[in-house]
Amino acid sequence: MKQSFIRRAAVVAVLLVVAGALAFASGGQEQQGAQKESVLRVALAAGPNTIEPATGDTRQASNVAWSIFDSLVWLNDEGKIVPALAESWTVSDDGTVYTFKLRKDVTFHNGYPFTADDVVFTWQRGKGEKITYREDFNVVKDVQKVDDYTVKVILDKPNSMMLLQMNEHWGILSKKYYDEVGESGYLQNPVGTGPFKFVQWNKGDRIELEANTDYWQKGYPKVDKLIYRPIPESSTRVAALKAGDIDIISRLGPEQADSIKAASNVKLVTYPKDRVYYITFNNMSSGKGTPIENVKVRQALSYAVDTQAIIDNIFNGKAEQVAGMVVPGNLGYDPSIKPYPYDPQKAKQLLAEAGYADGFEIGMAGPSDTYINFEDVLQAVAGYFKDIGVTVDLQFMESGKFWNLEANRELPPLFGDSWSSSTGEAFPRLVGSVGGKDASYAAWYDPRLVDLVEQIRLTPDQNERAKVYTKILKYMHDNPPFIYLYQPLAFEATRANVKNYNPRVSEQYYLKGVSVE
Amino acid sequence: MVKYIATRVTYSIILLIGVLFIVFMLLHLTGDPVSLMVSRQASPDEIAQLREQLGFNRPLVIQFADFVKGAVQGDFGDSFRYRQPAMELVLQRVPATIQLASVALFMAIVMGVTMGILGGSNPNSFLDAAARGLGLLGQTIPTFWLGLILILVFALNLGWFPTYGRETFTFLGLKLPDKSIVLPAFALSLFTTGQLVRFTRSAVMEVRNEDYVRTAHSKGLPRLRIYLKYILRNAAIPLISIIGVQFSYLLSGSIYIETIFSWPGLGNLLAEAVGTRDFFLVQATAFFTSLVVIGLHLLTDLIYVLVDPRIRYE
Repeated sequence: MKQSFIRRAAVVAVLLVVAGALAFASGGQEQQGAQKESVLRVALAAGPNTIEPATGDTRQASNVAWSIFDSLVWLNDEGKIVPALAESWTVSDDGTVYTFKLRKDVTFHNGYPFTADDVVFTWQRGKGEKITYREDFNVVKDVQKVDDYTVKVILDKPNSMMLLQMNEHWGILSKKYYDEVGESGYLQNPVGTGPFKFVQWNKGDRIELEANTDYWQKGYPKVDKLIYRPIPESSTRVAALKAGDIDIISRLGPEQADSIKAASNVKLVTYPKDRVYYITFNNMSSGKGTPIENVKVRQALSYAVDTQAIIDNIFNGKAEQVAGMVVPGNLGYDPSIKPYPYDPQKAKQLLAEAGYADGFEIGMAGPSDTYINFEDVLQAVAGYFKDIGVTVDLQFMESGKFWNLEANRELPPLFGDSWSSSTGEAFPRLVGSVGGKDASYAAWYDPRLVDLVEQIRLTPDQNERAKVYTKILKYMHDNPPFIYLYQPLAFEATRANVKNYNPRVSEQYYLKGVSVE
Repeated sequence: MVKYIATRVTYSIILLIGVLFIVFMLLHLTGDPVSLMVSRQASPDEIAQLREQLGFNRPLVIQFADFVKGAVQGDFGDSFRYRQPAMELVLQRVPATIQLASVALFMAIVMGVTMGILGGSNPNSFLDAAARGLGLLGQTIPTFWLGLILILVFALNLGWFPTYGRETFTFLGLKLPDKSIVLPAFALSLFTTGQLVRFTRSAVMEVRNEDYVRTAHSKGLPRLRIYLKYILRNAAIPLISIIGVQFSYLLSGSIYIETIFSWPGLGNLLAEAVGTRDFFLVQATAFFTSLVVIGLHLLTDLIYVLVDPRIRYE
């Protein structure tokens, strides 16, 4: 009995060894086979929740989604809205009716033709309760089919952001396919008209796509296969790139950027991100009746902070100081409006003029676990305030709790946070932070600003809109609702043989033009 | 025996509910995930509406009771992020974690028991020092650091293994991992190796001084036979409980190891779910891992009976 057990154990052990040997052998073969076709392997810092533009919850998720889907319009590398699935469009004189002519030569990955019905359906589904970005569909009052290749998009009032919102989240779905498989079936096996076709998605492991050889934009995509791999740990991403196990990586720290620079066969890609870190003054709840309501106090606190020293010491110089919510790369940015210089004397003088020569005490909060080095930044800021006599009661809290309190307007008179934008314009962060009392995360209310932000919404002409942005930048500089701190740099890297990888300031990238040589 | 098992199972269920209760309360202490589910331009009304829709405005005790009620019926709720049943997502990750845990356990037993026997039977020798060193190292080395070092040395510099991820091949209809499992399994195994070295070593040292071993020696039995039949068999009893406990620890998925090596297992999923406050997914993962841990402890106790005829539960 015992001997037979030992014998059986021995057999199992031998089998295991054989299986192991087979594993090594087959692993090698797979890699050899893969080299024949061109494969682009892209690391994601986190696995996406869905790979469909209206429900993907992070920038990384929507980057994957836009490999599979197309919208009616596209924002090109120069920041201009250009035709995509819509060949052309006209806008009515009052700016409320857009008539889109659709391309006739487009089919979905499964062969279903693309028609006006799909556009109408995409809008209807996009407004649904469970859709993350339903607001970007709700801006439109109605979408009507005129004929198979013409749709009318009708607005309540002119909205200059509508085409940008379309470009962001209106990935056109196939109505016919949706009717067959339903919402969750669609999300599990997405079908679009984009440059790549969905092959498989093993959550936490990989997303595999292959070239759509019938893509309507001839000559694209440039690779046969596109594989996304979630690699949460950034050090592992760097090692994988250097070892040649991956072609494109993003979300790196400054130290890692230095190590990439020193390595061969890899290229560093750096750009300032469209994200502004700031400390907000809160005149909508706890800041009411405190010194921060006085504009001189807010200016004084802006003069008191040596942001460049913070950048140099905490970020090793790897961030850019900002003058306001409209940053370089945004529409209407004006370089003549400079950040507040560090001037503690001026700060003290302004405080004295405001009647607070002896300073005051005030509460400040920040999220503790979500932004790189942000706790250090806020502590440094508190130190600078102390230099001019303002004592800060600084508290940090877990980010989820922080944002709950922010939404409930229960945070102290000062708090630090950041706001990104993905449209190439500062509108989302403006409407969210100073757009009026309806915005959940707004802490500052200034009717003049509410009007200006509304004016942006009502100005479809890009050049006119740029002027309003500049006006806002100037106004918010002189009457600061925030202490503007910095915009971080994004660090990404590719293998040296990856061509045409051009991420945008919003950390958005399109891979149809990327090739591996 | 039946009564014993019944009591143990009852205790296990109570324990399981206790664990879930703690996880649930800890999660809710951090607020609710609604703020992460809406865009930052959302209005307060919209947030309140969503909170009500998801039931997060109800008293916590009622929410917990609801969760337990669902869990009993196998419904752990839908993951907010993935829009899929939470347990389905958990079960998808189980094979990767089981494979990692099994290979790690195998490595730990081979390294740990061998070194423990060698050390224990040659006290104060060089081998013994090496065994003690391995035991100490295995239990103190930070896995996070070790994982990165392994990647840098064996994947990046030597190129023997891939730097991350799980590559598989199909064998007899099963998707099995290839050599990509070696580094993460080794990193994961080291702590268990350390434990096994120390326990094997002391068990062997204790048993080899027993009277019956001396008797066996004086009867002139071959050394190998004495080791296999007299020493190891008796030293094995404490080892089984250690191995059982360690296996359950390995199976619950290592957050660090799976994250560093981007191994698509339970630990990886849990880290992600906690980071995105995907409550139902965290709860489903917690349920699954505590079930495994508690179940394996129960099983270990029962295996005792089979190995050691002196143990009887009445």
